[in-house]
Amino acid sequence: MPHSASPPPAAPHPHNSLTRIGWRRLRRDRVGFAALCIVGAYLLLALAAWSGLLASHWQDEVAHPYAPPTLFAGTAPHHLELSAADIDAADRRATSAAAQDGSGATGLSADEDPLAADLAAAEQQSAQYRGAEQARADSLPLGADQRGRDVLQKLLQGSATSLQVGIAGALLALAIGTVLGALSGYFGGLLDDALMWGYSVFTSVPDMLLLLAFAAVSGRGIGTVVLVMAFTSWTGTFRLMRAEFIKHKGRDYVRAADAIGAGHGRRMFHHILPNVGHLLLVQFSMLTVALIKYEAILSFLGFGVGVTQVSWGAMLAEAPAELLQGYWWQMLAVTLCMSLLVTAFSLLADSLRDALDPKVK
Amino acid sequence: MNPAPPLLSVRKLRVSFRDEHGHGAEAVKGISFDIPAGKTVALVGESGSGKSVTAMAITRLLPEHGCHIDPGSEILFDGRNLLTASRRELRCLRGGDIAMVFQEPMSSLNPVFSVGEQIIETLMLHTGVGRKAAQQRALALLQEVGLPAPERKMRSYPHQLSGGQQQRVMIAMAIACEPKLLIADEPTTALDVTIQQQILQLLTTLQQKHGMAVLFISHDLELVGQFADEVVVMHHGSIHEHAPVQQIFEAPQDAYTKALLRCRPHLDRRPARLPVIRDFLGDSCHFEPPQRERGYQAEDRVILEVQDLCVDYHSRHGWFGRHSQRAVDGVSFRLMRGRTLGIVGESGSGKSTLGLALMRLQQASAGRVLFEGEDMLTLTPRQLRAYKRRIQIVFQNPYASLNPRCSVAQILTEPMLLHGIGCDAEERLQLAGDWLEHVGLPRKALAKYPHEFSGGQRQRIAIARCLTMHPEILICDESVSALDVSVQAQVLNLLQSLQDELGLSYLFISHDLAVVKHLSDQVLVMQQGRCVELADADTLYAAPQHPYTRQLLDAIPQGWPHCIRSRPA
Amino acid sequence: MLAYIVRRVWQMVPTLFGVMLLLFVLFNWVGGDPSYILAGKNLSAEALAGIRQQLGLDLPLPQQFLIFVKQVLTLDFGTSWSTQQPVSTLLHSRIGPSLLLTGSILLLGTVLAIGIAALVAYLRGSLTDRLVTLIATCAMSVSALVYIIAGQYWLAFKGGWFPIMGWSDSTLDNLLHYLPLPLLLGVIVGLAPDIRFYRSCFVEELGHDYVRTARAKGLSEPVIMLKHVLRNAMIPVVTSLMMSLPYLMMGAMLLETFFGIPGMGKEVVMAVERSDFPVIKAITIYIALATMLFNLLTDIIYKLIDPRVQLH
Repeated sequence: MPHSASPPPAAPHPHNSLTRIGWRRLRRDRVGFAALCIVGAYLLLALAAWSGLLASHWQDEVAHPYAPPTLFAGTAPHHLELSAADIDAADRRATSAAAQDGSGATGLSADEDPLAADLAAAEQQSAQYRGAEQARADSLPLGADQRGRDVLQKLLQGSATSLQVGIAGALLALAIGTVLGALSGYFGGLLDDALMWGYSVFTSVPDMLLLLAFAAVSGRGIGTVVLVMAFTSWTGTFRLMRAEFIKHKGRDYVRAADAIGAGHGRRMFHHILPNVGHLLLVQFSMLTVALIKYEAILSFLGFGVGVTQVSWGAMLAEAPAELLQGYWWQMLAVTLCMSLLVTAFSLLADSLRDALDPKVK
Repeated sequence: MNPAPPLLSVRKLRVSFRDEHGHGAEAVKGISFDIPAGKTVALVGESGSGKSVTAMAITRLLPEHGCHIDPGSEILFDGRNLLTASRRELRCLRGGDIAMVFQEPMSSLNPVFSVGEQIIETLMLHTGVGRKAAQQRALALLQEVGLPAPERKMRSYPHQLSGGQQQRVMIAMAIACEPKLLIADEPTTALDVTIQQQILQLLTTLQQKHGMAVLFISHDLELVGQFADEVVVMHHGSIHEHAPVQQIFEAPQDAYTKALLRCRPHLDRRPARLPVIRDFLGDSCHFEPPQRERGYQAEDRVILEVQDLCVDYHSRHGWFGRHSQRAVDGVSFRLMRGRTLGIVGESGSGKSTLGLALMRLQQASAGRVLFEGEDMLTLTPRQLRAYKRRIQIVFQNPYASLNPRCSVAQILTEPMLLHGIGCDAEERLQLAGDWLEHVGLPRKALAKYPHEFSGGQRQRIAIARCLTMHPEILICDESVSALDVSVQAQVLNLLQSLQDELGLSYLFISHDLAVVKHLSDQVLVMQQGRCVELADADTLYAAPQHPYTRQLLDAIPQGWPHCIRSRPA
Repeated sequence: MLAYIVRRVWQMVPTLFGVMLLLFVLFNWVGGDPSYILAGKNLSAEALAGIRQQLGLDLPLPQQFLIFVKQVLTLDFGTSWSTQQPVSTLLHSRIGPSLLLTGSILLLGTVLAIGIAALVAYLRGSLTDRLVTLIATCAMSVSALVYIIAGQYWLAFKGGWFPIMGWSDSTLDNLLHYLPLPLLLGVIVGLAPDIRFYRSCFVEELGHDYVRTARAKGLSEPVIMLKHVLRNAMIPVVTSLMMSLPYLMMGAMLLETFFGIPGMGKEVVMAVERSDFPVIKAITIYIALATMLFNLLTDIIYKLIDPRVQLH
């Protein structure tokens, strides 16, 4: 309502809405506020990486393969430069060979072959990087990977990807779950039956299996992963919102809104929704955490982000082979970076739950 | 003469609560009182008076975190200080020598164990008897507390019993080990009036039979007047008066006690305005205001006529099965302009459903609701809009009926916005402020949020919200039931003055016959969805026709000297 | 009771239909034409047409759906596209290792989690409680991948206490030799979130009025915790436990992949890798059926724990 923004003339100081009290409580909660700051910092970094301000050259091979972190330059296991480089070179030869006769391998011409375009793009890209030979560093702040790329840059870019997937997926899932849950809980009847049927269908398949089934038919890439995650994880929010709307539609304040002549839409979204908003915020934090973890597993198994993108999962996928040779830094960097964010998000969810609970005044 | 030492004596008890930020608030401010063996002492006070905290402090059931009992306090039971007793000692006392009965019997019983099991558990713990013997004893106890079919009830689970029966089970559990002291914390507040009277009767009988001392905690002075030996009146954590019951009722010394006695509506009198606490606190001597006459007059015009209204609740079983239950069954009445129709009934009588159905907040299944001749039940939603404004409702729980996320300004201007009252936001805000002052709140309250107000103030805001639409009929659904007596009197006075001033017609729904009598011209008594009696207020209370009405009237606690037991001379 | 079960089974029909519809939409419509993948290197127009005809992909969609429904009703999903084995034989050989692995993880994990959670809830507010909660929160934040990679590297590769990977045909050999490490890692991954969840269940129950009554009766705290609170807290605990039962069938996907255990989870991953649609469809249908049966079982168990539950 427009006039609610302007305080009445008689009011000497602004009063405490529940939201403002919740915010103040969150600020006083040291752990919660620290968690919020950490999440905020990650978001800023991700935004910078995403917009190209930071780590836009993560694919550059700036150091020797498996260059150690600066701090451990002396103590780290001396990398088998020759053999690693050999493997690397052999690897690249294989890739380029495949790219060159990519279309020849099948009996179809380039425009009939569905993979031809992808192969051509990959070929172009690898050609671009092959050309850029430059002086390579012996050590980097967080070390280098198999191809000599800077782990720090990869980490930044990977964080951006993982956060983007987690947050966008959570927002989309939240939107689907909230709208359907609100309709189902508020109106009930046949609509509720129909939506509950959809809910029972989606929940009768474990979410990881559903994710993989979706992944099996869809392509790779951030956009696809976000969609797949949203389609498979809306059910929790749906159940929560449906239950809340059933509970709230019978509350006296909603009845009172009915009595003063407020319509269905107004009752649902002006009256009930703000009163369940704090639950959505908590749900959002938990969903983001879950999706970030799922993304890691999906990308690890190779069904996640595309080959030209990097995410935490994609980085962890390189870890087992590296670990066997004694190169621990990439895995450690990803683990710490991911754990810090996930811990912060979990603590934030806990604090939000406490701070925004309207029952505690 | 050397009087026997009291069974329990509370000395300088101080309890304070500390919130998470260390802000302390003193709930009990150094009170002292005694409970003699075999006597009933009543602790009376409004909410926040510290009466329940005192009871919890005696059994040491206060939460360990955030609660602080002043080290100078003492609670002596049989000469032992309970505040310094060890956990083991306490466990022996609890349930053994000191037993408790709580307000909500449903949640106080463990839902997943049978009733018998819960009593047997106590018996085996404290008396050391075997399971067989405990079973026999539990059965005898259930018989003693008057539970029908005790053998079957032994195996029942709490949710299979009614509220009154659950409380009987709690009492059986409490007296199982022959305690010396029974602490009853508002044991009848959650129950219907007729059940309340039965439970009190039971408690008094048991007290006399077993010679227990009873500490009875209640907000209702009239109620405890019926059976207590001594009354302790508490207010804001301190004791205002402690005297034998007769003195409390016949010659109260303290102004607050006097106020408590007078501000509750009474069946014998109907003052034009109820006295409020402020009337007693000043130096000015309180005098009785003139009495008000009630009843429909010949020249009254009908504003609302309800004919054979029926409401069914449907519950669904599976996909196709339907189960319906009639909540309101063929109720008819007339409401006159500027008058009040009281609707009385116990829980489950359908009185609230009736109110909701009149506003079409609940679908009616049959009958007509004629608002000045127009049947409200057949109007299309568009046509209904105009009528909705004219008939409004004030709900029972002031904590639930205001949207906690909206400021008072938003709450009050929303109806005006929806009904096109006032031409712009500025004017609506102005009007909202006017109505707020009308119901006795300052204009600056507009910027506040509901949680910043007390229960009575919130109920005023709810009333103001209705008034912004200039309604002609106001349905008050248990609107004062959740309020303390002193606040209740203020809100009742407000409702009365609004009726006098604006000519409103009220439909006053309540379980409290005294409050209904105070406000109503005509009274309708409901039982299980049906109307059992409809008459002018004075007629109905003076000469009730239906046995149920008589039963309800008999159950009203009337304080000293209408006691329900024989007192030793 | 029997009437209830019959009714519930009857109500599974629309849900199962929904799952079929979902799978059909996914694999026959969104998934596009699988013949490209099947044809592999011999990609020619004739070969494609042949494959399409063989799979019935040239039929109109409704007819294809009917074929799928028939497959589900007869539980005969044809042959795997990649190995040409009958799907039912394939899955039959995969279910055993999965049940062994996930069953033991679930059993051990639940017992440990409930025990620790009850202890921590009993000590709520103490240093131990806060420490356990904090450790659990941090432990939860580390990806399951990291536990498995690190565990396999240090405990098996470096430490040499366990075999790095593998599985044999003898159950005893599996139990003694190949199972312990995956079991240990599976329990570690699941423990932290379970402890946190169960703790919150217990703590919430402790706030109820009946706990106050139990104290007023003079019961000691351990009795209150283990008798009154535990029985009530079992309601949400059983819910979460039963919800995790479908995973018994699906197996622990990551563990099976890492340790080379030939179970359902590994089969799913491989099927997705090879776009082996019949296998994915069959596994999904089987697990959906199992989930529905477990849900029914959950409701019946509720009735045993909580007398307030009415089956209708």
